[in-house]
Amino acid sequence: MLRVTWIVFQNEFRLLAKDRASLFMLALAPLVIITVAGFSLGNIYGVQPGSEPYQIVVVNNDHGWLARALIAALGREPSETVVPAANLDEARLIVGRRARAPLCIVIPQATTRTFEAGRDVHLKVYIDPVKRLEAQAIELALDRLFREVTARAHDLARKRMAEQGANLRDQLVRASAQMKALVDQVARLQHQFERARATAQAEIAARTRTIIQRARAEISSQLANSLGQTKTLIEHDLAARRDALIAVSNYLERLQASQQDFAKWLADLKSAAGSHASQIPPPPQWPVPPSKTLLAELSKPFDFPAPRIDVASSLAIPNLVIRLPEVPQFPVLRPIPDFAGLISKSVSTLPGAVGWEEGSITGGTANVNAFDQYVPGFGITFLLIDMLWGVGVGLIDERDWGTLARLHISGAPASGMMLGKLASRFLIGLGQMILLFGAGWLLFGISLGHDWWALLIPAAAISFAAAAFSLVIACIAKTRDAVLPIGAMAALAMSAIGGCWWPLDFEPYWMRALALGMPTTWTMAAFNNLMIRGLRPSSIAGPATATFAIGMGFLTLGILSSSRIYRHAGQ
Amino acid sequence: MAEERSFAAPPVAIETARLRKSYGPRWAVDDLSFSVNTGEVVGLLGPNGAGKTTTLSILATLIAPDRGEVRIAGIDSRIAPAGVRRKIGFVPQIIALYAPLSAYQNVEIFARIQGLTRRAAQARSFETLEAVGLRERANDPVWTLSGGMKRRLNLACGMVHRPQVLLLDEPTVGVDPQSRERIFTTIRAAADSGVAVLYSTHYMEEVERMCDRALLIDDGKLLAQGTAAQLIEIGGRHPRMEITFENSPSPNWCAALPGVRELPQVIATPKVILEITNLRQVSEVLEQAHHSGCKLLEFAVHSPNLSDAFIALTGRALRDAATEI
Repeated sequence: MLRVTWIVFQNEFRLLAKDRASLFMLALAPLVIITVAGFSLGNIYGVQPGSEPYQIVVVNNDHGWLARALIAALGREPSETVVPAANLDEARLIVGRRARAPLCIVIPQATTRTFEAGRDVHLKVYIDPVKRLEAQAIELALDRLFREVTARAHDLARKRMAEQGANLRDQLVRASAQMKALVDQVARLQHQFERARATAQAEIAARTRTIIQRARAEISSQLANSLGQTKTLIEHDLAARRDALIAVSNYLERLQASQQDFAKWLADLKSAAGSHASQIPPPPQWPVPPSKTLLAELSKPFDFPAPRIDVASSLAIPNLVIRLPEVPQFPVLRPIPDFAGLISKSVSTLPGAVGWEEGSITGGTANVNAFDQYVPGFGITFLLIDMLWGVGVGLIDERDWGTLARLHISGAPASGMMLGKLASRFLIGLGQMILLFGAGWLLFGISLGHDWWALLIPAAAISFAAAAFSLVIACIAKTRDAVLPIGAMAALAMSAIGGCWWPLDFEPYWMRALALGMPTTWTMAAFNNLMIRGLRPSSIAGPATATFAIGMGFLTLGILSSSRIYRHAGQ
Repeated sequence: MAEERSFAAPPVAIETARLRKSYGPRWAVDDLSFSVNTGEVVGLLGPNGAGKTTTLSILATLIAPDRGEVRIAGIDSRIAPAGVRRKIGFVPQIIALYAPLSAYQNVEIFARIQGLTRRAAQARSFETLEAVGLRERANDPVWTLSGGMKRRLNLACGMVHRPQVLLLDEPTVGVDPQSRERIFTTIRAAADSGVAVLYSTHYMEEVERMCDRALLIDDGKLLAQGTAAQLIEIGGRHPRMEITFENSPSPNWCAALPGVRELPQVIATPKVILEITNLRQVSEVLEQAHHSGCKLLEFAVHSPNLSDAFIALTGRALRDAATEI
């Protein structure tokens, strides 16, 4: 059987070498479609370098620095050129006539002023609905550009505010230092005041005490003199008055004796008046004369010592306290302890912009080359179609040509022939994928991942699955005319649903669930893991196994159905 | 063992016994028993749809019979189909070739599939191409060859490995006289070398010329077998007259002529076949046709042949427009 397998295997290559249409379909057609798809559908992933840039028509009604900056930024974009227009009507004409001009941007008046005033500015974007996809791609780029401009403005504002804050902080620090010096100076002054006050108070007390002592001595001296003179004068004056007082005392003594004589006389009178005594009126009351002691006192000679006035004791100032007015209390000045915090609280800051930066979750690059999708995607599609052509149509052709029956009659076991045909087509398919990846790498710079050799695994798995799938189609379809419609429908559906033409996440959930049963889905998952996500070969173990398992299912179904081909071959 | 004894020992190369094959309700081969000896060329003659191709496909092990037995070179095809395949060479009615490949490459691949080494296959391929007159065109792609050359190449591919039994399914359809002669020569040479040839055709002339014997079949049944002379004898000795009218003639237009009988045909056509008693009646028939208002386009008079035998046996012409299965 192996011999037959080998002969059929060789013959398939010989047939392929003679079949220019198949060779075209194997190599050139996929490259053409990949090129067309990559460049035309590259908008899904962003414009490719090297393609003709988009023309962005700009109507500048502002003419401020912001408008100029925006236009300059648009002009710097490699995928865009700026076409100025005087007004919206002219812009409409340009957008309508030029294929690469999908939209125009109108920068309204006072945009710069509004921006400078801290308010949001809104540009007006008019798109050509027919060029919706391109417009969306540009809108994405514009969104990114405007975000960058806004972020740059925010950065600038923040920088200025930071500078102002720093200046303010410096000023505050300086003020704080000055204030601290002032506080120190005030403290020193207060201390000096306190000391001066104490000194003055002591000086005044001492001088006062001296003056008082001098005054006291002077006063004491003058008082002693005055007292001595006064005593002399008094003694002199009193000596004369003493003589008079003695004469008065003598008189009074005699008066007193006369009073007693009058009382006796009156008593004698009354006795003499007998019954008429009651009619005699009482005599006037005599004043009580001073006592003799008293009168003796008056007549006593003056003998008194000169008074002693102790000025020293009476004017003693042992605890002389002179209270000067208190030093007025200075206001308490405290230095500002935390200027940074004070600044952060006191200086208003621009709120930070909430932005995002794209990165690959797997650590690879987040920027996707559109051909990383289309080379494997359309490679798989053409692999399926070529397998349909090589295995499906090939088997039907051989059946119709009679060569299948003839080979069978010639002693070639059906299994050996089938194996040879499938093995050759498997290798051709694998070679086709290698060729396409090589061309994709050379022409479009596709990523081959960390380990290029790992791409061979899903390529081999899908080649196997596609060959087995084509065998099933050849068994289902009864005629050559039926193989291509049935097979192409199935192959194209598998390609589309399996994410060969667009990312799988474009599809609704139910379609993604359906895609799990298709080898294309798993193969694309493996290629995506290696090429776009930049994962290691271990990441494709599951997808490659799933592809191979589905291929085994196809092969089993194909082998079970292959008797149909031979049955028809015999008729 | 009883069945073993029912078959003749070699030199019988092909032997069938009560072979039956149906497609749905229709019997394509019905109780067919015959044999072909070594070195014998046997014609399988019948109209389209008679069961010739089905019979050959059963012999070639392409399809299995519903009933009956087949032995090729003494090997029971039910028990050892692979062994049978090694003994036979099959030339299908269609040109079963790889059109993109060269004549040599086509012959060589079938030689190698049959088990020849690369070197032997190479030598044998050139020999066979020489035999069918295509040595000079060995490297030309098949699609550049004429129809006759393709037929010869088709034959070469079937006999490159020198089989003991050669099954030919209408190998001369649509070929030019030169190619036909080359094919005849090749087949005859093969038979002379001991190959048993079963030659399917609906051309009685080829059978008359090529075949040692002929099997006359229709509706899957074997109507008669024998040499050409024996079969012609079955059809009688009366001449036939074939007349083509512009329009179909009215029924019984020649009933008034004594000794003239119109043979029935499956499909109504402007062409009628009359059996006449002698050649003198030709003018009477033509006159009658003129009187009956039919416009005559052409006519031919035949001596008795295999076709007559077939008509005698089946009541209808050997060649009709039915599609071969």
